[in-house]
Amino acid sequence: MITFLRRRTLSSVIPLAVVVLGVFCLARLTGNPASLYLPLNATEQMRQDFAERNGLDQPVLSQMADYLGGVLRLDFGESLRTGQSAGRMALDAFPATLQLAGFTMLIAVLGAAVVGSWAAFKPNGLADRVCSTMSMIAASVPDFWFAIVGIWIFAVTLGWLPTSGVTGHGIWILPIATLVVRPFGVLVQVVRGAMVSALSSPYVKLARSKGADDYRIVTHHALRNAAAPALTVAGDLTVGLVNGAVVVETIFGWPGIGKLMIDSILQRDFAVLQAAVLVTAVAIFVLNILIDVCYALLDARVRQAAKT
Amino acid sequence: MSQPSQSRATRRNRMIGRFRVARRRTAVAALAAGFAVLVSSCTVANSDSLGGSGSGLRIVLPEEPPTLEPCESSLTSTGVVVRSNITQPLIERDPKSGDLSPLLSTGWKRTSDTRWTFTMREGVRFQDGTAFNARDAAYSIERAVNSDLGCNVDGYVFGEDPLDVEAVDERTLTVESKEPDPILPLRLSFVEIVPTSTGTAKKVRQPVGTGPYEIGRWDTGLKLRLDRNKRYWGKAPSYENVTYQWRAEGTVRAAMVTSDEADVALKLGPLDGAGDRGVNHPNNETTALRLTGEEPPLDDPRVRQAVNYALDKRGIVKSLFSGLGKPAGQLVPSGVLGHNPSIKPWPHDLKKARALVKAAKADGVPTGKQILMVGRHELFPRVSETAEVLQEQLTQAGLNIKLKMVDESAHLEYQLRPFVPDAGPVALLIQHGNQAGDAAFTVDQYMTSKGAQSVMGTKGFDKVIEEAGRKSGKQRQKAYEELLKQQNGDITQFAHIAHMRGVVALSPNVSYRPNSATNDELRLADIRPAG
Repeated sequence: MITFLRRRTLSSVIPLAVVVLGVFCLARLTGNPASLYLPLNATEQMRQDFAERNGLDQPVLSQMADYLGGVLRLDFGESLRTGQSAGRMALDAFPATLQLAGFTMLIAVLGAAVVGSWAAFKPNGLADRVCSTMSMIAASVPDFWFAIVGIWIFAVTLGWLPTSGVTGHGIWILPIATLVVRPFGVLVQVVRGAMVSALSSPYVKLARSKGADDYRIVTHHALRNAAAPALTVAGDLTVGLVNGAVVVETIFGWPGIGKLMIDSILQRDFAVLQAAVLVTAVAIFVLNILIDVCYALLDARVRQAAKT
Repeated sequence: MSQPSQSRATRRNRMIGRFRVARRRTAVAALAAGFAVLVSSCTVANSDSLGGSGSGLRIVLPEEPPTLEPCESSLTSTGVVVRSNITQPLIERDPKSGDLSPLLSTGWKRTSDTRWTFTMREGVRFQDGTAFNARDAAYSIERAVNSDLGCNVDGYVFGEDPLDVEAVDERTLTVESKEPDPILPLRLSFVEIVPTSTGTAKKVRQPVGTGPYEIGRWDTGLKLRLDRNKRYWGKAPSYENVTYQWRAEGTVRAAMVTSDEADVALKLGPLDGAGDRGVNHPNNETTALRLTGEEPPLDDPRVRQAVNYALDKRGIVKSLFSGLGKPAGQLVPSGVLGHNPSIKPWPHDLKKARALVKAAKADGVPTGKQILMVGRHELFPRVSETAEVLQEQLTQAGLNIKLKMVDESAHLEYQLRPFVPDAGPVALLIQHGNQAGDAAFTVDQYMTSKGAQSVMGTKGFDKVIEEAGRKSGKQRQKAYEELLKQQNGDITQFAHIAHMRGVVALSPNVSYRPNSATNDELRLADIRPAG
């Protein structure tokens, strides 16, 4: 396993280096930030002073060398917008997104395992049809619409939940409900498909012939084997959420990394953008390694392949 | 003999198998436990230190202030919190009458063409306990205008030339400009006063001032709380503390007021759902198309006039702005010195617009050449729909319009010198806000031939503008009125659309009358409990 982890980590270094360089180059292509930070009638002298103060008057290669040196020292510089440490801003924002993504995926995976298995137990039955239709709808609803309608119904009309914010227990419900809808819909369909296939396989027939009850067949035999494809899809969905649930963070005032990244792009705040992208990229690589470890734990063939 | 050895091997394999299963379960359990620890805390990361707002005032803004640096207070997101709340200027402008009134300075007079003398108020203390005097005022002006800090207020209000500032004694300050400046006191009303202990090497994020509130706690990304300044020299404000939150979505800001999570929500659109809680107010913003005059077909004055005739301003205000606005005929709104009440908006006359385009075409002007109309996302509510309507109306007049919606940074490349090269003829959708209260702040930028945001102009017109800027009082008003009329006739750089109005949502618990400065300078002392 350690060999497997080491190999997996080493293979992540090159993509990470590409991300580090890519975000620097792409950010510079979006234009000079001076116009956004100086008054509209700023003089040429003020523009030059701004460029000098922020190192933007240096050749791009020199800026890149400074940036790479900073990355190695984990120093991303200061935010143009707030004057705070860019690395600190990214690290402060990331846990809030991770919490949101973690809760969302926990609920989506557990819910999809139950509902998907239930639907698959009698293919084309009433439960299957209802679940399939509902999950299709859930997978198709835009999250901003769900968020606004949720606020309107549960916060404004009924007054049961807060509209937004970060204090109190109720604040988790609407953001997570908004985020969970799509992953849940997608995962229900994946679990259902995998379970239909698993339930018709020879080892399940053998288990039935040995007298195993339905619960045992689903939980001990079929679900375990159906978990691999669900894990793949859940991994992709989690990566998407860790990358920033921008819409939800924006609407609910959630201080996460997705909103931080979007604001940094719009404000051409290069230092914060670079720090936020790197923090997210590292998290995604770690997440991918965890997913691979889960694969290995679930499937002996993967472990065997990793050894060779 | 083989039987015992086989069973030993079987037992060993079973043990290995059990060990592997146990190890796998342990690993899964460890992963699950780590995951649970990660996500199971009940508070959002980094939010546990938040205090409640108690019985104070709750305000929701569209965005978090990037900084509370006083010399950046001409930035809307900073100024709305800082100005006249945490820090104060020497002189305050009344947004309703436009008159200047004493604040940290009790009186001022012009002592020569270029010099003004100010008298400082006595008995004022900063929030850190130090006494305010003329040295602090001189230091604040030097810091904002003459230093290398790159303050926003410097470029926004003052020109390239530095000011000569001197604290003559504890109570007397003189400020001298290189050229005669009749509106220097108005310009200085944008400089917030800080104590001499404030640094000049770097901007400060959390300043000390003389205002009625001081910074209580700022949990970056989450909330900002201001507490009543117990040393305040004036009348104590009504609320013990004020909590600011920020939500980017107007519908959410409105919902926070209707569901009693906030008392005041700023910068709402007419369709954000504030309902009965919404109060509309002038915001000194004017929307217009700015037309380039160097390339055909927009270099022909008849085509620029046709653009003005083609726009149905009344229809746009009624249907797209929900009636919140007034068709505009000039870039300077009423309430700002220099506004010309005799200028009426161009009438909507599509036949005339078509005739003008046809006449230009007959004279060889390539009226079919594509004109790029550039709009900006989130410039004002329903901006995309407005841009599409403008495109359609100009197309009906016989022009070839291509619409391009961009973000703020890309829009600034079209808006500010040096303009995007080889962009061809451009009709830029702009929204200009004159918050300073004097037409000079509009005209110098938008109408001089080398103005930062001007794409047309003549040397003769530059001279007219320069002369108007030297005048004061009624003569100044008259001069700007005339030049705004001349702009529409001789130059026609703009096709004005509307003088806009904003919406503020107010809880029934508060009493406040929003004004043209509300979005830039929300004076907390003006907000009181209802009843």
